[in-house]
Amino acid sequence: MELHNIEKLLERYEEGKTSLAEEKLLRKFFKNEDVPDHWRKQQMIFRFSAEEAEKKLKSTPQIRSGKDWYLKESIAAILIVAMGLFFYYDPAKELNENDLGTITEEEVALEKAKETLAMVSQFMNEGKSELIYLKEFNNTTHKIIKID
Amino acid sequence: MKEHTFLNIINPVRDKMYRMALRLLISKEAAEDATQEVILKLWNRKDRIKHYANIEAFAMKVTKNYCLDQLKSKQNSNLRIVHANYETTNISLQSEIEVNDELEWLGRIVATLPEQQKIIFQLRDVEQFEFEEIAEIMDMKPTAIRVALSRARKAIRENLIKKHNYGIT
Repeated sequence: MELHNIEKLLERYEEGKTSLAEEKLLRKFFKNEDVPDHWRKQQMIFRFSAEEAEKKLKSTPQIRSGKDWYLKESIAAILIVAMGLFFYYDPAKELNENDLGTITEEEVALEKAKETLAMVSQFMNEGKSELIYLKEFNNTTHKIIKID
Repeated sequence: MKEHTFLNIINPVRDKMYRMALRLLISKEAAEDATQEVILKLWNRKDRIKHYANIEAFAMKVTKNYCLDQLKSKQNSNLRIVHANYETTNISLQSEIEVNDELEWLGRIVATLPEQQKIIFQLRDVEQFEFEEIAEIMDMKPTAIRVALSRARKAIRENLIKKHNYGIT
């Protein structure tokens, strides 16, 4: 290999114009121990990239990840909770015909209704009687206006 | 795609992916984790992988993007701290120590390059990808890649000379 050629290649290398084959030539040339002193730096760089290419991944990659398992578990958990809420059965809350006290006989029903309405009106009257005191409001304001 | 076939495709690329992650993330542990994560990602997308013409370039692209995301995310901002990666190796010869020292300096010089140049240098000078492949990985035009590569190569040499002359970078 002529040194002149290497010189030219190095120039083009720094311009980023060399092909892979040409770079291979340079690599091969600088692999030799005896290169001219002014190319020591370039030799270092080529040695560096060669050395860097030797680094290997020590651990073997695993395809089955813990993350996958995690995702599936969480989906299962959510499903269980959702189904539990959906199908939750509480007998105490179930509507029962007997608990409502529905009366089937007509006359008894009429009596009961009357009784209930009477009770309502009674309480109404009781409440209304208390409203008499509201009149006092008018009395007092009247007096105040008179003083004026 | 079966697990076996997938591993056969990934195994030749995984060291390249690891080296790319190592170049960007610096820490060995982070790089190993990143490689593992990216391989998982690829496995989850295994049905689409078949349709890619160049799986190697695609894997490198995913690795690159993943590592850049890692660097961007706040939780991993501590990854920027340069890890020493101490290892016990038996070095007996003085000259060997010097050489290793120089190579270490080169690693530091490369680490100071902008991310884009760093990645392109890694892809071209270390992994020896074709410009077309690098263009695919980087989503850049081949001419732009040549420019960035040229800048990276010049910067590395200039920094190495500077370091040699003054003992600093």
